[in-house]
Amino acid sequence: MERGRLLSLAHLWAAFLCFLPATGLGLWQLLMRSPLPVPVDDPNAYYASLTAHGSIMAYVFPTLFIMGFGYAIAVSALGRPLRGENWAWAGFVLCVVGSLMALAPIAGGRSSILYTFYPPMVGNVWYYLGVAVVIIGSYFWVALMLINFAAWKRENPGKPVPLAMFAITTCALLWGWTALGATSEVVFQILPVSLGWRHTIDAGLARTLFSMTLHAIVYFWLIPAYVAFYTLMPQAAGGRLYSDTMGRIAFVLFLVFSIPVGMHHLFMDPEHGSGFKFVHSLLTFIVALPTLLTVFTITATLEIAGRARGGKGLLGWIRALPWNEPMVLSVALALLLLAPGGFGGLINMSYAMNAMIHNTSWVTAHFHLIFGGVVVIMYMAIGYELWPRLTGRPLITKRAACVQLWLWFWGMLIMTVPWHIAGLMGQPRRYAIFDYTDPGVAKMAWLDILSVVGGVILVCSAALFFYVLARSSLASAAESISPIRYALAVNPPARVHPLLNGFMFWNVLLLALVLITYGYPVGQFFFLHNQDAPEHSLTREMKR
Amino acid sequence: MSAGNGSGRSWGFFAVAMLTGVVALSFGFGFVLLPKYQGTQGPYSAKDSLYHALGLHAHGKELGSVQPPLKVPTYIVWTDATIRQAMGGDAKRGEFIALNCNACHVEQAKSTEPWIPILAGLDRLVTYKQLDDFRSGTRLSGPMSAIAQSLTPQDYADVAAYYASQPGMPENTGERMPHSHRTYRNPDPLQRLIFAGDPKRGIAACASCHGPGGYLIGAPALTNQNAAYLGQQLQAFAQGTRANDMNMPMRTIARLLTPEEMKSLASAYAKGLAELQ
Repeated sequence: MERGRLLSLAHLWAAFLCFLPATGLGLWQLLMRSPLPVPVDDPNAYYASLTAHGSIMAYVFPTLFIMGFGYAIAVSALGRPLRGENWAWAGFVLCVVGSLMALAPIAGGRSSILYTFYPPMVGNVWYYLGVAVVIIGSYFWVALMLINFAAWKRENPGKPVPLAMFAITTCALLWGWTALGATSEVVFQILPVSLGWRHTIDAGLARTLFSMTLHAIVYFWLIPAYVAFYTLMPQAAGGRLYSDTMGRIAFVLFLVFSIPVGMHHLFMDPEHGSGFKFVHSLLTFIVALPTLLTVFTITATLEIAGRARGGKGLLGWIRALPWNEPMVLSVALALLLLAPGGFGGLINMSYAMNAMIHNTSWVTAHFHLIFGGVVVIMYMAIGYELWPRLTGRPLITKRAACVQLWLWFWGMLIMTVPWHIAGLMGQPRRYAIFDYTDPGVAKMAWLDILSVVGGVILVCSAALFFYVLARSSLASAAESISPIRYALAVNPPARVHPLLNGFMFWNVLLLALVLITYGYPVGQFFFLHNQDAPEHSLTREMKR
Repeated sequence: MSAGNGSGRSWGFFAVAMLTGVVALSFGFGFVLLPKYQGTQGPYSAKDSLYHALGLHAHGKELGSVQPPLKVPTYIVWTDATIRQAMGGDAKRGEFIALNCNACHVEQAKSTEPWIPILAGLDRLVTYKQLDDFRSGTRLSGPMSAIAQSLTPQDYADVAAYYASQPGMPENTGERMPHSHRTYRNPDPLQRLIFAGDPKRGIAACASCHGPGGYLIGAPALTNQNAAYLGQQLQAFAQGTRANDMNMPMRTIARLLTPEEMKSLASAYAKGLAELQ
């Protein structure tokens, strides 16, 4: 058990240690794009910084966090030591080594390809190898989650797998499936060019393969937040979960529908026909369903807790909730951020409306609001929830934790709302520098400055988060810390439907759906087009 | 458990039926109804719209009765085979061929005449492309066209390898280490033009392709090159007398520069890296 704790703690520390400097890079990038003075004003430094910020925030930080959270759940929800713990450590080491491999060439200015790769841009080979090693390390975790899930089920026939474990295993499976897209892009297309074996690359195919990962990865990040919604928050609020079944349905829907929607990132790409773009657009609306189910269930859960605590009247239960509990506060703030973020998402996924905001700052603002807002605020709350259980030391202050969450909430809104507006005014994304003497650009200056203000608040909040965790780790050990307890449903399931207690059926459905929606769009590159683009090497490293 | 299995089947059936319904709906809209509707709206028939839905774009055929005459800026396409050939030259053999070049480009390929370009240290892909353009007539020069006619593509690669191996102009490695003052915050208009461009006029930064701090396949490094040659080439691009730039970035940009800017850009690059940092 002791070692199991250390395993999760190592993952979470590594995740948060990457997270803090990455927020600083983000603030510097905001300054670069603003009219304010900035140190080291060089577009190349901007793209290197963006690559580092994106690679950390999109790949390293969430992956390590989710792995650590997953192991903590496997141990605590199943009530048994982790099977294959040595393999878990091996996976952790791979992730750390891979991250360092990827970050070194970025720091050397040799892989400023932005974290989405964007062939035919090609960077240093160590960057791609590093990303591949991180993915391999995360696959150890995927395998271990499935093994532990299956072992528990074998030993407890007919019993429902605890919801937290069911959900995090969905997350693992989803990652296992969806990472295949980006992995095959890196292994079969980019690495041969990066190694100098080939000089051209089919950029359309690469973008299509990446789109298989690009959207589902968001749900890979989101599911742990939803796990906290369903299984940690009700307990912290002093109530019960409204419905266990609803949770299982939501997670299963995420698994099935997250991948066959990725082409909504390719609406403006000429290599695909309008038909499949429409299919993916429509299916993306289906993937909004589990989120709507969740919002309903979680609001009902909050109401149950509020009323159990004596709240009366139509809205009186809201006041009765324990707002000084970081977990409860963060869920409410996350739902408030989810509303504008989800609304923006509906615009992005609409085949026609997407054209208005394509490649503008709107998109960047959107994913910061959804991921940086909804998801990260929940990761922080999960951190606060797990920390005492993992370190055996109490959280030094819940008050500072709540202040920190409020700062993150306001910082994120102040940063992203003006950013969205600048996008609607036509500000392009991925631009390092703007000429504010241009009257068209000058109109956006105050919006960019406001975003910087939001960024400053976010960095302060991240530092406070780090401070609370670090100080708590140094506090004297508590005599007894209550173990993690997962929420009971109002009607705890004695038995659940077999389909909602395993994944085989959903895996088959997912595979069928992916074949139907991606078979032709990927296959066409092998019989329709033969238009490889010449590589665009960022640096010339070898005398080939 | 048998009852459970029975309901398992029916729930499973329900899930599959729902999914099939959703897929049928999306495909029905995307591949039947929308193409049919588009067929009644624009210049394309329903059949063309269906092709469009499948990614088989057929617009060219419909509208293509009158096509403007093709103007080819260069016959070089950076395919795998071309890059391999251009990079695969033999410098020893190239040195022998280059004996013919030295009448103008002189020994060690450092020209003394300011309108003749320095070739020592030039990127292999650049030399290869320019020779091919001289041969095909997409870049015009009396002596060079005649000389290039007598060479084979393998000769181009060999000569390119020889000149690349000579010390002279620094190779543009696309080094991207950060330096301050490379944005519009820099008060010097020339530095701004080189490192940040001028988006108000639609001018991209010179350095993003020619370095320092940027690299593009086929674009030469310009540091230490002869100033008079650089100025003359900018004029030629601006007037359209040189037109062998793929996708015409140089023709577009040079046309937007003032004569003073051309002169100062040429001399800034000619003075070398130290001047630019």
